[in-house]
Amino acid sequence: MTTSNLYLQILEWMPFVLQGFVMNILMSLLAIVIGTAVGTFLGLGQLSLNFTIGLPSKLLTQLFRNAPWLVLLFYCIFLMPYQVNIAGITIELPSWLRATIGFSFPVAANFSEIVRGAVKSVPRGQWEAAEALGYSRKATLFRIILPQCLTRMIPPWMNLYALLLTATPLSMIVGVEEALGRTQAAVQAQSDSRVLIPMYAALLAMFFLYTWPINRLSLVLERRFRTK
Amino acid sequence: MITDIQTFFRELANSGINLTIFYDAFDFERFITGLGNTVLLILASTFFSIIIGAIGTAILTSGRAFPGFLVRSYVALFRNTPLIVQMYFFYFAIGSIMPVGQNELGLPEPLLGSFSWAVISLSLYAGAFNVETFRAGVGAVHGSYEEAAFALGYNRRQAFFAVTVPLALRFSFASLSNNLVDLTKATTVAYAVGVAELLYVSNQIWSDSLNTIEMMNVMLVIYLVLTGAVVFIINRVEAVMRLPGFGLGDNQ
Amino acid sequence: MINLKALALAACVAFISTAASAQSLECGDDTLCRVKAAGTLKIGTKDDYVPWSYRASDGSFMGMEVDIGKKIADGLGVKAEFVKVTSANRFEFLAQGQIDLMIASASDTADRRKIVSFVHPNYYSSGYSVLLPKTIKATEWKQISGQTVCAVQGAWYNKPAQQEFGVKILAFAGTAETEAAMKQGRCIGLLEDDNQINVRLSKEQWADYQMPLPVMAETPWGMAVRHDDQFSPFGYFVAGMVAQMHRDGTLLKLEADNGIKNSAYLIKMHEALKDHIN
Repeated sequence: MTTSNLYLQILEWMPFVLQGFVMNILMSLLAIVIGTAVGTFLGLGQLSLNFTIGLPSKLLTQLFRNAPWLVLLFYCIFLMPYQVNIAGITIELPSWLRATIGFSFPVAANFSEIVRGAVKSVPRGQWEAAEALGYSRKATLFRIILPQCLTRMIPPWMNLYALLLTATPLSMIVGVEEALGRTQAAVQAQSDSRVLIPMYAALLAMFFLYTWPINRLSLVLERRFRTK
Repeated sequence: MITDIQTFFRELANSGINLTIFYDAFDFERFITGLGNTVLLILASTFFSIIIGAIGTAILTSGRAFPGFLVRSYVALFRNTPLIVQMYFFYFAIGSIMPVGQNELGLPEPLLGSFSWAVISLSLYAGAFNVETFRAGVGAVHGSYEEAAFALGYNRRQAFFAVTVPLALRFSFASLSNNLVDLTKATTVAYAVGVAELLYVSNQIWSDSLNTIEMMNVMLVIYLVLTGAVVFIINRVEAVMRLPGFGLGDNQ
Repeated sequence: MINLKALALAACVAFISTAASAQSLECGDDTLCRVKAAGTLKIGTKDDYVPWSYRASDGSFMGMEVDIGKKIADGLGVKAEFVKVTSANRFEFLAQGQIDLMIASASDTADRRKIVSFVHPNYYSSGYSVLLPKTIKATEWKQISGQTVCAVQGAWYNKPAQQEFGVKILAFAGTAETEAAMKQGRCIGLLEDDNQINVRLSKEQWADYQMPLPVMAETPWGMAVRHDDQFSPFGYFVAGMVAQMHRDGTLLKLEADNGIKNSAYLIKMHEALKDHIN
């Protein structure tokens, strides 16, 4: 077969792989939303002076930060039921949705650390000044500290998103129809090991073209928000 | 003693918790080999990724345009694509154009095996993150230290290695520890190119014995211990290198 | 803030696609009733096992196992919906109800019967052997002891081949990877099931290869259903369909249609079950 035939053949499979890539994006967007929401609570929990909130928050953060993503993914795929009955309505949890929940755990833990790190990066003098002005701890946190942190949290948050997206192909191992699994299926179906390299090059390009702009943007934002 | 342990886990298997690795000699051996390979992968890639990070940072801070562009491209490329795809690419694409030797049967045999490619790939991946970490560490060293070194008669190179680098290293520990924890977890990806590490052997074991959940639990525990060990070692190093009266103070 | 619309859309899609299929509740545990009510039979199959089950470029499933699945769905008067499964998750997917029938080149072994029920008669059978280049003069397994062979992760014969013949296994996710690895010289041959090797050998690109070692551990493949379904209308229906497809030669025809040489097992089963009149 000639080279141009090889390209045509690869082109023919691109829609199939791209559909899978849409699944990667969908999973990553949902997981970052869930993870950020849960991570905010965990992060604020870590800052709590109350022992019964602070300790579990720290433990959960460390647990989900240090466990391999793949293991968390397996737990969610195999231990969560496929169908849930709520008030007579059967809700299906397809594997991509369960995988998304699996990705949300490490995202939440990482975001929890981002929140904690951002709050800690505000000089202690501000807490003391607020206290001297009669602000409660809660009011100091929400009125003075967090508004400053928000801008500082955006760059690492975007980095986290890029990390999450590049981790979504792991869900292939648990059978989610995403880009990497589909690339493998396409390579298999063509029964031609010469397509292996160009197919994977195309996959690399897809991920790069999507995440690189995000990374650039986060760098630009980081420079803008930098306070000296 | 060993037979007691085996008997215990065999009985446990009857009650539904099937940990073959504790009573089946073949599985036990596979598992220990996998654990050993994982530890080797972590050690080798940590070593090389730190070297890559250091070299990349040195090039970036040297201020030369073209080498700097190359390093930035490298970092961008490796940070923004999935490691598993990178690893495939190295192994199958670059591996196929590498020179080959011959084995004892006279058949062609690649010079670099699965393990070497996994180390190369993991080192380059983690190296890209380390470049950013060390670069940020250098950026965090206030310019006045360098000026003070110049005043004492140091030239640029001496000032960089004798003053900036030791200080930058201390600023980098938190982020470096993060990177190395990520690297430790990322070693599982080496299963894709046939390295017999923990996930690979666990996958074989649960395919044979259908005890996926049990093996997942075992893996979770082992990786928590491994990442814990990485964090512990870095904290120790950090504590040893700590300069009294110098640091990030209240902020960290 | 970022991509807010896309997020909202994603959330909507997630809920709309999930909150369906309420009408099947009256059926209780009767899978046959549920499948008929839903109008689709969910079949789990692999997508990397040419020519038994693989993908077309439009995403649809193809292959001999897919054809068998369609016949069974036709027999029920419902549509076949194929769900991709992998070696690592196929049994769990069946147990969880994500699929109702598994036709995923699974060998019917005692260990697996503890987890799922295989429908009998078995629909196919294979053993394992090694595809070797003709330059390697080996006719017995012990001659390749200590050598590395490439295999697919999760294949049941990886363990016995290591234990009994002392070969070293280099395992990858799929057959394209094992082929590429062999061509790079990372292993001397491919450890595969004998049917697959025969399919390869019938093609010109594999003219320099052969299957010189004896085929080991001939084991039938089984379609799997949940334990509860084995002795239920659904289990009996599938079993009857398989028997009928053996009897009337459908399986032999599907095998030939997919470019596979008629296997000894299917010929034997057809002989045993074929109509005694005519």
